[in-house]
Parts: sequence; structure tokens; C-alpha cells
Amino acid sequence: MTTIKYYWEDFTPGWVYESPPRLLTAQQIMAFGREYDPQSYHTDEEAAKSSPFGGLIASGWQTCSVAMRLMCDGYLLQTTCIGSPGLEELRWLKPVRPGDALRLHTTVLEQTPSQKDPARGTVKFRWDVLNQKDQVVCSMTGRQHYRRRTPAQ
Amino acid sequence: MPRKYYFEDFAPGDVWEMEGPVVTKEEIVDFATRFDPQYFHVDEAAAKNSPYGGLIASGWHTVSLCMRMMCDRYLLNCVSLGSPGVEHLRWLHPVRPGDRLRMKMTVIEAKISRTKPDRGSVLHHWEVVNQEGQLVMIMDGHGILGRRPPVRDP
Repeated sequence: MTTIKYYWEDFTPGWVYESPPRLLTAQQIMAFGREYDPQSYHTDEEAAKSSPFGGLIASGWQTCSVAMRLMCDGYLLQTTCIGSPGLEELRWLKPVRPGDALRLHTTVLEQTPSQKDPARGTVKFRWDVLNQKDQVVCSMTGRQHYRRRTPAQ
Repeated sequence: MPRKYYFEDFAPGDVWEMEGPVVTKEEIVDFATRFDPQYFHVDEAAAKNSPYGGLIASGWHTVSLCMRMMCDRYLLNCVSLGSPGVEHLRWLHPVRPGDRLRMKMTVIEAKISRTKPDRGSVLHHWEVVNQEGQLVMIMDGHGILGRRPPVRDP
């Protein structure tokens, strides 16, 4: 097991993290598209040229999934995270294209102790995914549950 | 030729039902190894000591499987022009190996675009249930769909 570095207490409002960039290739875009979102602008380079996007773009769910991986590699696997109840808002703001290098920017918005379990708490985050031109391609707000370092008294 | 669907085919109150595949352990681990390698998604033994008591699918895997259900049921036969986003996505119940997912979509709102009259925006409510009828996920999402072309006189 990985060493735990961050508990619920560590995610105070204003806590930020920025990941290193991760390149997304045409092959990865088409592989994800074939599996989960086989609309032609995600799976077919030729057909995508005559789509409203003018070329191949990544499924929005792939962008979210890559953001999740950047989060895992960046800090999440060293935390006491025990899952997420969901997202309040998710916006796909710009297409993600082959060769784009995505990075994740995390900001803590709120930190709430659990009403039911003194050993847990919830953190509300804003997650922005940026490309190599510093454009925000995807933005989410959502919550995750964490175990506390010290249970509430 | 399969039937084509247009913006006009999605009226508020319309309900569409769709079925997904059985989710296998191999798929859960494979998706999570690529995108969400938290131990309760990738390590069966360690997952037993997690709050879930066993391996569960990444929420992003569940939502990706839902996307595939939509594609297979209607979206590939639409002029689908993308989505600006989603509101209120809730992961309510874990998805476990062997689960079979079904989805019910209800149209909440359908609005013709003010700036591009060839398309409209549809707000959908999705409910995903497992084989025991437990609600595993809900989500409200927007989709931009092409309108039915006008019929011309020959």
C-alpha cells in the first residue's frame, strides 16, 4: 500500500495542485471512442474532417477520465479518499484534439465534516483541465469523501 | 437504413429505455488501471477491506458505459453536435462485477437554438439501475441535436 500523505484535514479551502502535462494521441482518442463513444468525430479521422469540429476530437468522458488519472498520479493515491458522491457541474468548454497536452488544476472550495461519521469528511473541489495553450477545456465542481487523520470529538 | 432521429424526436416528457452489457471484473480493472487506479477499482484483495467490501467500477467507467448505451440506442442515428456539459451527476450505488446496467432517459427540455436555427439543445435526465433495480447513477445532461431538414416540393 502507498503511504498516506493527505487526510481530510489537509484539504483546506484554497489548497491547489497542478499536474504535469499528459499528451493525448490520435490512437488513444480513437481507441476510447471505439469503446465508449463511437460518434464519428471520435473514431474516424476522415469523417471527422467534415464534422462541425473540423477534425478528430476526444470524447468528453475521455477528457474526464484522463483528468482522473492525472489526479491519481498527482496526489489522490496518497490520500484517504474513499470515493465521490458526484459532480455538481461539468462543462466541456473546448474540443480536445490529437497532440494536446492536458494538465489538471485542482482547487479546494469547501471542507465539511461528516454529519454521520466522525472519522470522515467531505471536500468540495473545482477541477479544471487545461491544454498546452492554457485554455480551460473542461471544468468540474464535485465532492469527494476522505477519512480524517483524527476523528471529530 | 436505420431510422434517423432529429431534435424534433425529443419532446419534454418523452422516455427512452436502453440496456447495457454485463460489467465484468476484467473490464472494471482494465478501465481503472488506465484511468482511475484507486485500490478499490484495481485490487480485488485490497478492495475487500475498503468501505465497499469488494471491487467496484470507477464512476467514470459507469458513465462511459452509459455513453455507449446512448450511442447504440439513438445517438449514432442523430446529427449529434456535441454536448456543453452535465449537471447533478450522482454516483449513488457501487457498480460491481457481474452487474447488468439499464438506463432510462427522460427529456426535460428541448429548445431551438436562437443563433443556429438548424439545431436545438435537449436537456435529458438519465437514471441508471442495476439488475436488482437499485439506482446506481443519475445525471442531467445537455446535447445539441440537428433539426429535421424541411421537406421540399419536388
